[in-house]
Amino acid sequence: MDGLLSQPVGTGVSIGRVMAEDAFEAVVGAHHAEIRRYLLRVTARASDADDLSQETFLRAFRAYRALPDGANVRAWLFTIATNLGRNHFRAQSRRRKAYAAAALEMPVGAPAHADGQVMAEQARARIERVIDGLPEKQRLAFIMRKMHELEYAEIGTSLRCSEESARANVFQALRKIRRGLDGHLAAGTESQA
Amino acid sequence: MSKRPAVCREIEPHLLAVATGEADRRAAERVEGHVAICRSCREELGQYRAVDGMVHSLRGAPMVGDDATLARAQLTARLADLRSRVVSFGIFPSRLGPVLIGRSEQGVALVQYLSASGSLTASVRRLLGDDAVEDRSATEGLRAELEEYLEGRRARLDWPLDLRRMRSDFQRRVLEATSALPYGAVASYAGIAARIGAPSAARSVAQALRWNPLPIVIPCHRVIGSTGALVGYAGKRVELKQRLLAVEGVKTVAAHHDFRVPREAMYTLMDGEREYCVPTCGSLSSKPLSVLTLFGTRERAEAAGLAPCSSCRPDLHPLPA
Repeated sequence: MDGLLSQPVGTGVSIGRVMAEDAFEAVVGAHHAEIRRYLLRVTARASDADDLSQETFLRAFRAYRALPDGANVRAWLFTIATNLGRNHFRAQSRRRKAYAAAALEMPVGAPAHADGQVMAEQARARIERVIDGLPEKQRLAFIMRKMHELEYAEIGTSLRCSEESARANVFQALRKIRRGLDGHLAAGTESQA
Repeated sequence: MSKRPAVCREIEPHLLAVATGEADRRAAERVEGHVAICRSCREELGQYRAVDGMVHSLRGAPMVGDDATLARAQLTARLADLRSRVVSFGIFPSRLGPVLIGRSEQGVALVQYLSASGSLTASVRRLLGDDAVEDRSATEGLRAELEEYLEGRRARLDWPLDLRRMRSDFQRRVLEATSALPYGAVASYAGIAARIGAPSAARSVAQALRWNPLPIVIPCHRVIGSTGALVGYAGKRVELKQRLLAVEGVKTVAAHHDFRVPREAMYTLMDGEREYCVPTCGSLSSKPLSVLTLFGTRERAEAAGLAPCSSCRPDLHPLPA
């Protein structure tokens, strides 16, 4: 009875559905790389970014049909990715806390002896570490705003908080970064004021 | 650390807004006015600007592991698989009551009898999966062929099938053996068990057929009990089995709460033979049903590629109609 299993594949899905699938291909093409980069920043692990970005788009595919016309697809994908990222952290919180604590203790070269280039590199590395050590909500809000330029309202939707709260979280992150860079910021900033 | 004046504390959020380019004009003017006279806030604004600049430069900086190629390829494959499983279905009236037909990209995945109201039970929903879409046009062609079949105008449903809903390899083997039963023929559960090399598994065969996702298409109505009783079909709707067999020319007689296929009125094929007989040929009547296939008419037996037996000559001495 091989025939039962080896008959040719049928065609017959309707036109409307085929078009929806093409539209989803376009969504993947337009946003997959960015969503994965977001998740790479959020999880700091390429394998986690691979898994969570796939999961983001598989969920999106299931829900895409129900998405209203004119919806902001990019912000919606960030919301799905953010939820998955937060669930991921809940599972991994112990590991991450240990990682962040270790990262903050890492020595950083003394700024007084460094030239401009090296100093900027060190400052960037220090910023990355401060970002890693931020509370989850501040960190996600900061990454969405500063790395991906989402609107505060969109960030609020992703984090299930108000637009104002989203802004407050980003500003709080900036304050912590400035404090973390104490002594690493170039002197002579006064002239900019 | 000295306490900052209230005015400085109050203006601090606006410093941030100005530094990140998000302040409205009024706030910007306030900050401008204040930093002109406050050295420490002026420095702070400068530092926030520097921070914002560095953060900005991070945005475009290369990241370790920022290669989406592999993840994208895996996603494409998983989406293709997901898509190929999505079932489009239609619900149609038929002479056996409302029938649901569902198909995926691979082929027909589901045929289900519904109750008279046509509503979907939880088990049908489970079989359809979360992603199923109602789309009558996708299954309209199938419906038309099924209707012809139920009216006896078509003997085969040559549909590509999606068998990914099989519960087990055992079920797959049972359904494949069942599919091999010709139009207008019946065999027993024990007979199917013997054909898949599990002669003692008649009850498991009945269970596997009970969960047949494709009734009619995979003709589980052609499998009966070893006494000739129809036994069961589609829950408790054995009358549907009787009607399907009647369409194919298989006679049944009413027996208490059931129907029975009368062996004595059926053309009979012994396993392994290529000739069909009248049921009294040789020692046939003493054989268990598990080694026999029964046909309602000579035409059906011959359409299945069988020749009349050269001893009992059913072609010359047909059974009474």
